Amino acid sequence: MISLNQNSKLKIEISDSRYPKLLKELGRDAPKQLYYRGNWDENILENCLAVVGSRRMSSYGKQITEKLVSEIAGAGITIVSGFMYGIDAQAHKAALEVGGRTIAVMPCGIDLIHPDYQSELYQEILKNNGLVVSEYEGKFLPTLWTYPRRNRIVAGLSKAVMVVEAGEKSGSLITANFAKKLKRKIIVVTGPLTSSLAVGINQLIKEAAEVVTSARDILEFFGRELIRTTETRSLSADRDRVSDSSMEQRIIAELQKEPMEIDFLARNLGISASEIGRIISVMEIKGLIQGENGKYYVH
Amino acid sequence: MFIKVSSATNLGLETLGVDVEINIASHGLPTFEIVGLPSKAVDESKERVRTAIINSNIEFPARRIIVNLAPADVPKEGSFYDLPIAAGILALVLKNQLPKKSLFFGELSLEGKLRHTRGCLLLALFAKEQGLENIFVPKASANEAAIVSGIKVFPIESLDQLMAYFLGKIQIEPAKYQAKEKNKEERAEFDMKEVLGQEQAKRAAEIAAAGGHNLFMVGSPGSGKTMLARALPGILPPLNEKESLEVTKIYSAAGNIPPDGSLISECPFRAPHHTISQAGLIGGGSTPQPGEISLAHRGVLFLDEFTEFPRSVMEALRQPLEDGHLTISRSKARACYPARFILIASSNPCPCGYLYHPQKACICSQREIRKYRKRISGPILDRIDLHIEVPVVDVKELSGLETESSEKIRERVVRAREVQRKRFLTEKIFTNAEMKNSHLKKYCPLLKKEVRQLLNRAALSFHLSARSFFKMIKIARTIADLEGAEEIAVPHMAEALQYRMKVHYE
Repeated sequence: MISLNQNSKLKIEISDSRYPKLLKELGRDAPKQLYYRGNWDENILENCLAVVGSRRMSSYGKQITEKLVSEIAGAGITIVSGFMYGIDAQAHKAALEVGGRTIAVMPCGIDLIHPDYQSELYQEILKNNGLVVSEYEGKFLPTLWTYPRRNRIVAGLSKAVMVVEAGEKSGSLITANFAKKLKRKIIVVTGPLTSSLAVGINQLIKEAAEVVTSARDILEFFGRELIRTTETRSLSADRDRVSDSSMEQRIIAELQKEPMEIDFLARNLGISASEIGRIISVMEIKGLIQGENGKYYVH
Repeated sequence: MFIKVSSATNLGLETLGVDVEINIASHGLPTFEIVGLPSKAVDESKERVRTAIINSNIEFPARRIIVNLAPADVPKEGSFYDLPIAAGILALVLKNQLPKKSLFFGELSLEGKLRHTRGCLLLALFAKEQGLENIFVPKASANEAAIVSGIKVFPIESLDQLMAYFLGKIQIEPAKYQAKEKNKEERAEFDMKEVLGQEQAKRAAEIAAAGGHNLFMVGSPGSGKTMLARALPGILPPLNEKESLEVTKIYSAAGNIPPDGSLISECPFRAPHHTISQAGLIGGGSTPQPGEISLAHRGVLFLDEFTEFPRSVMEALRQPLEDGHLTISRSKARACYPARFILIASSNPCPCGYLYHPQKACICSQREIRKYRKRISGPILDRIDLHIEVPVVDVKELSGLETESSEKIRERVVRAREVQRKRFLTEKIFTNAEMKNSHLKKYCPLLKKEVRQLLNRAALSFHLSARSFFKMIKIARTIADLEGAEEIAVPHMAEALQYRMKVHYE
């Protein structure tokens, strides 16, 4: 854990007029005070979307988080998350990449960075006009019970909660539960039924959560238009980028079905390992496909 | 009565002549002493010699016998002084002269027979260099010594036989060298065609074998990393004459040549367990012995479960990986051993091994995974050219798939090595992997604009470090050599890029 210099002035009491109104809806459970780092400005709290999910993110989860969050944050929605590794960190990163704003709610005292190896991300959030908040002062250590408590703030600050990948007893379900109590919208990203990371998601769907199919679904909820010049694309539709060879097109067609390893790709296409390597490298450089954890998927 | 017998001792790969001086005094109480800094093994030689002589039905002189090993200030080790001491005593007892310009070397058993003794090849080389004519060695070691032509190697079976020879009763036929070659089934445990799937990994192994590149494989348990590495000797090219002698010398010094062994003509394959000590891997001891890296010289050193090796052991590989040889200095002695090998390392992706596994769930936290990956030294990874991920294979799905045999791949590897040999005729290196930056400029100019463009674009999109940038050129050179292409073309470079380091460890 990395300790930061003390700065006790950055604190907002519940009686303060700057205290987020949405958070007050927690009632007696609302944190008595919020410690923060960064510039507290009210705009950042206006349109917040919580993006939460499993620590054990799959490459699919990473890909979807990147895609959705970059479009949502690009349209000016603040991304709130819990600064944990996995989907949380990915959501913060994706927001920062498009110059969006993001709020990290810490499970520990405001003077600590946890997990410490994400200190670079921490600094990036502050540099990009984001916020780091916590209800705990000083060097309060994170404990088992502070993580779920933290989740009520994540849900409380946001108008909607998007869950990407959640296991059976995931902390993300706790966040979704708080959102349900607060009558906030719950949106989920579906996963394959075979995946353990879809168990929690399917549970939420059964409890009538909404399913997201493109960033536009979320932007419509916030009443926003996409400000990027490119159209929001449906996530499974064909890419408009043109590849020059028929083999490249065949590879894209294969990978659109599901991400796969290079050996499987070669076998399905009936070409040798050296041939496929040659094509894949060029396609990676062109940005048509991307490799992650040994598997390739269409970018 | 005094006699001087010539012998020699091996210090590392070097050999030093030792005179065994024996004096049987006509006065004084019966005793048998060895002087000249003998170690325990040398000192115990007294008992072996005395008993062997008595058991050969020769009366052991009950006199004051002093043996001096000269130069007297060099510490003496090993059991091979048995034969020179016994031969000297026999000659004195029989009042005979020993043959001129001869070396004696070998260990005795109590019944008077001679045992296989290590280091005979080095001894024979020394004898030839010194202009000697005959060497007397145990019969089991004679073939090893007979590798050296131009000297007479007398294979000795027992003291009886040696005595008969001294007395002129029999003739001993000098040993003739007999080469023994392994057939292709013996070369490797597995044939490449037995390894199912893993097309990319096999291709990487082929490139590693052809260009002498180091290879790092990451994959879940059961994905076939170990099997692939063990199939590797089957695709390695045979050693040429010079390499063969180099390797055999190291094995001779380490005592790793079996009785009646011959020149080692196949690339050695060494796979030490991860509990190995630093001295075991690198070499060491108070009189420095070669370690696994030297035994893997001109061959393959396979380090399975690379993350489990102690950090200090791993770091010790750095200098030999760079230089291809190392000098082990100890207070008593110093030895220089060559160690130019292909490093094949493998590891799991995480502590439980099932990260990214299609069926099993990984139970490791991010912190544990990071900690696990940090165990691998960055500087070592820097010295590894080829990095691949080995996916888990569904064996049922793949059985019946036709793949290339080791023999076929080996043909390509041999051709590529030949191209490299010709390329580096005027240099001190043999393979593409050994090229330094100056060699790259000379032998791998990226003449084609498209190749340079591809590499530069890749450097940007893949964030290649300067070192990886040069690695790509080396790998592309090997791929081009495998194809018999004169110049590096776009497909070669594009394929090389597949073997870049994709996971960051530190």
